[in-house]
Amino acid sequence: MTLKECYAVIGGNYDDVVSRFHSEKIVKKFVLKFLNDSSYELLCSSMKDENYEEAFRAAHTIKGICQNLSITRLYEISGQLCEALRNGFTPEVPILVERTKEEYKQTLTAIKEYQRQNEVV
Amino acid sequence: MEKKKHKILIVDDSEMNRAILLEMLEDEYDIIEAEDGERAIEMIQKHETEISLILLDIVMPKIDGFGVLKIMEQKRWIEDIPVIMISAESGASHVEKAYKMGVTDFISRPFDALIVHKRVVNTILLYAKQKRLMSIVEEQIYEKEVRSSLMIDILSHIVEFRNGESGLHVLHVRTLTEMLLHYLVRITDQYKLSEEDIAMIGVASALHDIGKIAIPAEILNKPGRLTDEEFAQMKTHSAVGAQMLKELPIHQEEPLVQIAHDICRWHHERYDGRGYPDGLKGDDIPISAQIVALADVYDALTSERCYKKAFSHEKAVQMILNGECGTFNPLLLKCLSELSDHIRDELGNNFADSSNQREMRKVVVEMLKYEDLSSSEITHRLLEHERMKYSFFAEMSEEIQFEYTSVPSMVNLSEWSAKKLGLSEIIVEPMKNEKIVNMMDTENMNSLIKMLRNTTPEKPVVQYDCTIKLNGEDRWMRFICRAMWSNDEQPQYTGAIGKVVDIHDARIQRNNLEHMAAHDWLTGLFNHNYAKREILDRIKKRPDSKFAIVIMDLDTFRNANYTHGHLFGNKILKETANKLKQNIRSDDIAARIGGDEFLIFMEYKDGISAAIERIMSRVSGKYEEFVISLSVGLAETDIVGADYDKLFSAANQALSVAKKTGGGKYMVYNDTMSDISSELSPIDVIKDNNTNL
Repeated sequence: MTLKECYAVIGGNYDDVVSRFHSEKIVKKFVLKFLNDSSYELLCSSMKDENYEEAFRAAHTIKGICQNLSITRLYEISGQLCEALRNGFTPEVPILVERTKEEYKQTLTAIKEYQRQNEVV
Repeated sequence: MEKKKHKILIVDDSEMNRAILLEMLEDEYDIIEAEDGERAIEMIQKHETEISLILLDIVMPKIDGFGVLKIMEQKRWIEDIPVIMISAESGASHVEKAYKMGVTDFISRPFDALIVHKRVVNTILLYAKQKRLMSIVEEQIYEKEVRSSLMIDILSHIVEFRNGESGLHVLHVRTLTEMLLHYLVRITDQYKLSEEDIAMIGVASALHDIGKIAIPAEILNKPGRLTDEEFAQMKTHSAVGAQMLKELPIHQEEPLVQIAHDICRWHHERYDGRGYPDGLKGDDIPISAQIVALADVYDALTSERCYKKAFSHEKAVQMILNGECGTFNPLLLKCLSELSDHIRDELGNNFADSSNQREMRKVVVEMLKYEDLSSSEITHRLLEHERMKYSFFAEMSEEIQFEYTSVPSMVNLSEWSAKKLGLSEIIVEPMKNEKIVNMMDTENMNSLIKMLRNTTPEKPVVQYDCTIKLNGEDRWMRFICRAMWSNDEQPQYTGAIGKVVDIHDARIQRNNLEHMAAHDWLTGLFNHNYAKREILDRIKKRPDSKFAIVIMDLDTFRNANYTHGHLFGNKILKETANKLKQNIRSDDIAARIGGDEFLIFMEYKDGISAAIERIMSRVSGKYEEFVISLSVGLAETDIVGADYDKLFSAANQALSVAKKTGGGKYMVYNDTMSDISSELSPIDVIKDNNTNL
């Protein structure tokens, strides 16, 4: 799987990100680094603790990173969650959290797969 | 030498975002990172002068980006450190707010790496250039300041001696000198005069006649013609003035002083060599002196003097050009003639006003131009010096030193203090800071803040002692603080500075000493002195109450000492004291007043016998093989009156009656004892409760 194919799987915009970073190598480096990002754990734990201020920041960070890396689908859903959490808990939060988690997991799975294949090569 | 890299501070709570920026910039710049606003403030504080640029995120824990900007504004960091805000929050209100708070640039996500890079480079270049310009201008202004303060030094020295003769003369000569010089450099480059030189000659021209202070007033102000002798004396003023400047104790090597010297000495030389004091000729006379000489003559002609009326401008110029007033450098005459109209206008009727206004305008323009410069850059050096001094002394003193601002609520600790307390140097919202709350009781904190707020600008210093938890141990500390009040008409409380001194050991020692001074070392009861003081105090405070002094001793104590030794005796005394303590009321006072003598002071209402009997029965008994038995004498205020000495001696008399009648009982003093006490024989039984015998 190439980085471009990986972007297709996760619903990202490969051309956009490469045009902004001016190098596929750098994009690759940060996409792999996304695997180590802890915002997802922060989102899960803060939701569990009903700490919505922290949950907002976690969603905000996910949104920011995805925006930077043009991971569009996850950017959009985490962005919606972010807005829903901006002023504390709102009724649509739980469903948006679920969808964000779902999308996050899928994205991560795809990137891990990309990582696995490229290590072998 | 390798060029030093500019330092950039990246503030973002997402490690990923920081990493991306780092990737783009680390080759060219020295990057430091902060993961939230609080940490950012700490780092700015620490690296203030080194940081060339800050990249700042908005949404962060603890303090967000706007909070950082607010503090940067308060600390005036924002004036010297450019900030580029990077955020996904691209709403117009956010962008506008950011610019209003002083950011240089706003970049929204997702950003283009090249654009970020370019903007960073540009911003840093721009600021570096500005800083260089500032330092150049600063130097110039600084020099100007030195020069004018130097002038003030000299002139104020002389003004005392000056007679009021020439009013605007000094100012006229200066203005004319500057005008002529400016024109001169336009028509010839013969004299190599810079703007700097011209300004300096202008300033120095004010001193041309200072030698006149050595000329007697009768000659200076003489209305008629001077005699030859008087004129000879008058002529000495140029050499005398030059001499004065030569002998100035300070500023000797200043160019200004040297120019002033030349002007003083040679402003009466003539171009044809017929002047005084040295008879210099042509351009041997410094150009500064030549010009001042011309200006001096012109002003003398156009002013009214005690010996002459004023000539008109035209007439004066005509006289000079005709050579009626001495010989001058033809070039200067050319200047005079070509500037004639201009000179008339400048030195016309409203000269004083217009010249003041001109000065004023110059000052205002300068101030507007360098507004931020005067406040930040020019004093920067001094501030830096003060800061170093402060931090050095703070470290040496080994005291906790702090600065507190109330809005925003923030504590600044000296480096040493922060280390000592295990806190960061900057603590935002200290009252909510967990570490601080653990260290210092909220109650103490509030009391201290209340004390500070209750100060006045005239009496701003307070002192407050309380305990602070340091490394798990409560220690007594003394806060010595000075409340800070603003200079407004209605002063506002803005915070405080202060130090915290560890007084724990001193205080404990004092407490120990106090305890030792008040207590009997063996039994821990009060000693006699202290008990007496307390009793006097008690009686004074409650004059209507009834009190009794009770003195007791151990009947066979001497035996105990003899038979069992002193250590055993001490044990008996301790045992007795303990039992006493346990059996008196909390308001009673118990003391050991001598070897085996104890004193109790108690308040009573109806009768006292029951209490005494109870104490005696509880204290008496066996200790090991030794039988403790008490003899007791007591005196009541009812009978004796509320006088300590009388009560004490009455109780003693009652005690000796009890002893002499066999011991093991108590006696209440009555008037019959006053005469006979010492002669009492054991048979004179007054009262015998028959205990223990």
